[in-house]
Amino acid sequence: MMVKLKLIFNQTLMISSAILFGLGIQELIEYLATGDAYFTWQWYIPLSIIFCAFVCSVPSLIFIDDYSSGKVYVLKVIIHFICIFAAVSLFAFLFDWFDTLTGYLVIAVMIVVIYGFTWAATYWLAKSDENKINNALDDLRDEE
Amino acid sequence: MKVTLEKVNTPEEEGALIKAAEVTEEIRNAVDLLENNCRRISVSELSEERSSGETVMLGTDQIYYTESIDKKTFVYTKEKCYGTKLRLYELEESLSANFFRCSKSLIVNIRKIRSVKSELNGRMVAELLNGEQLVISRSYVKDLKRKLGV
Repeated sequence: MMVKLKLIFNQTLMISSAILFGLGIQELIEYLATGDAYFTWQWYIPLSIIFCAFVCSVPSLIFIDDYSSGKVYVLKVIIHFICIFAAVSLFAFLFDWFDTLTGYLVIAVMIVVIYGFTWAATYWLAKSDENKINNALDDLRDEE
Repeated sequence: MKVTLEKVNTPEEEGALIKAAEVTEEIRNAVDLLENNCRRISVSELSEERSSGETVMLGTDQIYYTESIDKKTFVYTKEKCYGTKLRLYELEESLSANFFRCSKSLIVNIRKIRSVKSELNGRMVAELLNGEQLVISRSYVKDLKRKLGV
């Protein structure tokens, strides 16, 4: 139970940070393009971001004690992505995170980029660990 | 730690005495090194029906991995499989520091791992020198890294 709670807590923090990062980049681009230095939020937006991050963290539970590999694992990742995409889209719609279709497309691109970046980083870290371990094993391995 | 070296006349007189307040991993490593990584454990040869056979003493340096299946513990060497009355956790205590638990039911000899390959789900697959493949659970990958100092 503690493992699940810890996972949800960590994921909530990470997803909140990712949404704020995406929003920050979006505002930076807007500032550079238009020179508009001010950005106002409705009172509920920060809380809606944290709540959205919490809801998005729940699908990650499918990866706890996961022993699947190959196609089953890829299917789980696809389901996970669809759940997150649907949750963020729903929250974006409910809490007026966008005004126009272009605004929604920006959010959709942000979801894809952040999700892709997260998996790419995970893959890179896993490969890095693999190389470090294999190098260390070279010094210990018995003769065949 | 204070180290005293005393010269003796014959190899039969050689020995080491370690005085330690606690048996830490460093102490175990030192003991393993002094024992030349070759403790011996009692195992039973298995017939095709997997019933207990003749008891033999097996050097831990010959062990590739040990596995617990249905509360029975099996010891695997390059080509043979043995049974032991010891539970996996008991065996873990008597094995050298070269062994590490790679899942709830498996203990593998690090020196017999040819290479590891990571998977996206955080697990790793270890290929042993005899070609067998074992899964290292995600939660135990950290232990392996700590043990190897990476």
